[in-house]
This record gives sequence, C-alpha cells and structure tokens, in this order.
Amino acid sequence: MKHSDSKDNVEHSYGSAPVGIMDPPAVVLPENSVFSKRAKRLRELSGRVASLRDFLGFMARVALAQHQVLASRTPEWLPDSSAFELALEHNMAPLGIHALRRDIDWQTELTAILDALELHVGQAQRPLLIRLRELNSASLDALADDVLEGRPGPEKLRGLMPLVASALQVTWVRMTQALPRPPKRPPHEARSLCPCCGSAPVASVIHIDGKRSGVRYLHCGICATEWYLERAKCSVCDRSDDLNYLGLEDEAGKAVLPMQAETCGDCQSYLKIVSREWNAGADPLADDLASLALDLMLGEEGKFQRSGFNPMLIAGE
Amino acid sequence: MTLQVTRRQFFKLGAAGMATSSMAMMGFAPDAAQASIRHFKLTGAKITRNICTYCSVGCGMLLYSRGDGSINSTDDIYHVEGDPDHPVSRGSLCPKGAGVLDFIKSESRLSHPEVREPGSSEWKRISWDDALDRIARHMKDDRDANFETHDENGNLVNRWLSTGFLAASATTNETAYLTHKIVRNLGILSFDNQARV
Repeated sequence: MKHSDSKDNVEHSYGSAPVGIMDPPAVVLPENSVFSKRAKRLRELSGRVASLRDFLGFMARVALAQHQVLASRTPEWLPDSSAFELALEHNMAPLGIHALRRDIDWQTELTAILDALELHVGQAQRPLLIRLRELNSASLDALADDVLEGRPGPEKLRGLMPLVASALQVTWVRMTQALPRPPKRPPHEARSLCPCCGSAPVASVIHIDGKRSGVRYLHCGICATEWYLERAKCSVCDRSDDLNYLGLEDEAGKAVLPMQAETCGDCQSYLKIVSREWNAGADPLADDLASLALDLMLGEEGKFQRSGFNPMLIAGE
Repeated sequence: MTLQVTRRQFFKLGAAGMATSSMAMMGFAPDAAQASIRHFKLTGAKITRNICTYCSVGCGMLLYSRGDGSINSTDDIYHVEGDPDHPVSRGSLCPKGAGVLDFIKSESRLSHPEVREPGSSEWKRISWDDALDRIARHMKDDRDANFETHDENGNLVNRWLSTGFLAASATTNETAYLTHKIVRNLGILSFDNQARV
C-alpha cells in the first residue's frame, strides 16, 4: 500500500491520519504548466469533437505557443514583488487589468507567440499572423482594451482578438508567478471576480486532488487564477434556490463532455461547470470552447444569459 | 437578501453571433458546430443541500436529482455525495451515510403513517391528521390518568412518568429547542435522542 507524504497527515500520539479536505486553499495561482496542460486537453478535445476539430486543433497550437513563450522568455520589466504588498494587505486585486494595462509590455509577448506559431499554422490562418504584425502599437492596445473589457470589438479585427488575448494571458500568468503569495479570498461583494486581476471567470471547475476533492473553484479567463466558491450556488447573484445543471447527451443517452451549465432561475444567467471527477484532465477554458454546442442550445432556448468570459471565442453582435 | 454588487456582464454566444464570431473570422466555419446540436439533447439535474438523517454529527450532503420539479412529477434522486463546503464534515460521509441512496430508495421505507390497532395483526394506512389526532388522544388520556403533582413525601414534582419521548437527531438547533420545550412542559422526564442509538 502506498503511503502519502507525511506532510499530508496529522500526527497523533497513536499514529497518523490523512487530513482530507480540512481547509481548501481560497485562492490558487496558476502552475507554470497551465498552458501545456491546456494544449494537451485541447488536442484531445479536437479529436473528440468532430464539429470543432480544426478550431480546437488551432487553439491547442496557440496554447502550446503560449507555453513556449512563458517558459523561454524573460521579460525586461516585471513589478518588484514588494510592489504587491499594499494590494494584498488590503484585499485589492494586485494584478488589476485596469491598473497594469499601460505599464506592462504585452506586445513583445504577442510577437513571441506569433514567432512560435509561424511554422505551425495552416494557409487559412496565416493572414491573421501577418495582419497582427502589421498593426501599429496603438491599434493593438485598442484591441487589448476590447478583450479585457469583454467587448466584441470591431468586426474586421475580431479574428485577431483571441491571439491578442493569448498574449495578455501569458503576460498576466507571468505576473502571477511574481506574486509573493496568493491573494486572500475576495470580499463578499466581489466574490465573483478574479482576486488577482479582477476579470470574470470563464467557468467553474470541480477538483479531485486529496485536499480539495469535490471542491469548486472559479477559473479566471485571463490570468488562470482559481478561487473558491461554494458548490450549488449562483456565481452571479449568490442565490441557490433555483439552480439547474444542464448538460448535453448524445443520441445514445451518453453525456457528451464533462461540462454542464449551472443555470440560475433567479438572475437568468449561467456559468459552465466542468468536473475533473468525470475527466481528470479537463480544463475550464478548453472544455468551455469544446462545449460550444451547449451555449448554442441555451442561446436557442433564450432563457439564460451566459456570464462566462472566454477571450478565446468572441461572438459577434 | 443583501444586494450583490457585481460587475458581471453577459456574453451572447448564440447562433446569431456565430457568423461574425472570432472563430468564423479566423477561418473556422461555425456551420458544423451549429448543425451538431441537432444530435444532442439537453438534460437537467438539480443539486440540493441536506443534512444526513442518521446521527447527531449532522454531516452535509449533496443530493443529485432528475426531474423538472413540476407538480405531477417526482424528482428522482440518483446520487448522493458529501458536501465539501460543509463545516462539520468537509465532504466526508461514513459508510452508513454514503449508502443513504439505498435507504431513500428502499422498498420497505415508511413514507406515510400506519397504525396497528389493539387486537389486530394488520398495519393500516392512515392520514397524517388522523395519526396526529390519535397520538394526541393517547397522550392526553395517559397524562390525565398518570400525571403526578406530588411525590410520596408531599414534594411538588409535576411529572408524567408513564410516557417517554425519543427525538430525531437530524434536527436544527431551533427544532431541538422547541422539542425540549414541548416535552418538558408536558412534564415528561423520559426523554432521549436517537443520536445516541
């Protein structure tokens, strides 16, 4: 029988016992493998969801480029870790998208991602890379604003926004690595926003590792930080009276993906929730893209509005 | 209800916005994804918080059920797991609690009042009103016949020793308080809780 690490056990005078979920962490910063794991999941999903095969395959390629850039580049400037103390102490988001937007050089991260993608994109996507390289700094900044504000952006440039978002994600994940410690649980009024950067979550994820088995976290679409929220509760209005979990079944009655929509009848919104109990490798952002059919069906029904923010897929108006 | 200050915005991801979505603009036709929904069916489930009915630890449970909640349909519970957010149990359930689904679905589970009258060998189904009336009648008759105001030494006792009361364990503090008040006000001294069983 395999014994777990002694640090996972409580020592008693009569022996030791595993602790289980005594105190799940309130906020978890992303691992530096976040993009490589996402790339792996996207590749897997690209093989499983035939109707989105090419799109998910391309997104897997982008995630891999993000991983390469995050791992290989050293940025010229990063805030000193002491710069975050004041924000952490007073429960403010230390990496607020509005506060840091102008100070951080995300555009060289974008160039590095485009370089990493250069040899790996198909003919149809090549113009995206060329157009992004042609845009001047001010136009890129305007696109970054649209992405971070969750706006649909100008129609002609909308196809470039997910790549802009990919660079912003790398920039912000890199900054989370520089934080001296994770922020505390957000105050009650702000519990549905990322405690690191203030963005809306892309989806919820239910974890399976020992110390937080079955515990739900919200996952940030920009900086990939995860923060705790009680199960069976609406992340938008905080109520739990009229929640329903809607999933997709195929013609054989089998669940299609480990993804459900947590719909709230009180505020008529939904946020998707992915369970690692069903698939250990599930990634909130990747599985959100792959379960587009669920959004389309809910959109057709017209009862619930989507609250999940996924900058890798921006719908038109 | 407290007002939730929220900066959450909503995103349209319906069929209408797909033709001009970033996906389409990147060169990936959304037609196949839109057509794929014809092969899928939306299924609903509910998750309800509850407290384990067995003992006084009061572990938190999440009950998963199917059903549309309409008047003519009964929600069907298909899965039970420990509530990881519950401060007492943190997602743990003992084997008895973890097996509560079989208790819920047990064919011999009592779901309505029954009576076996004196001299009869048959259990007869009765209404809740009837059951409560019968219990009240028995209690009143027994209390009237056996209530003691004074003991053999003349001390004032106001006690009712011929009836006992067993309370359920899966109760809130408020229910426990009310139970105690009612039982003690009647003068019952034999009073115990199922949690000790």
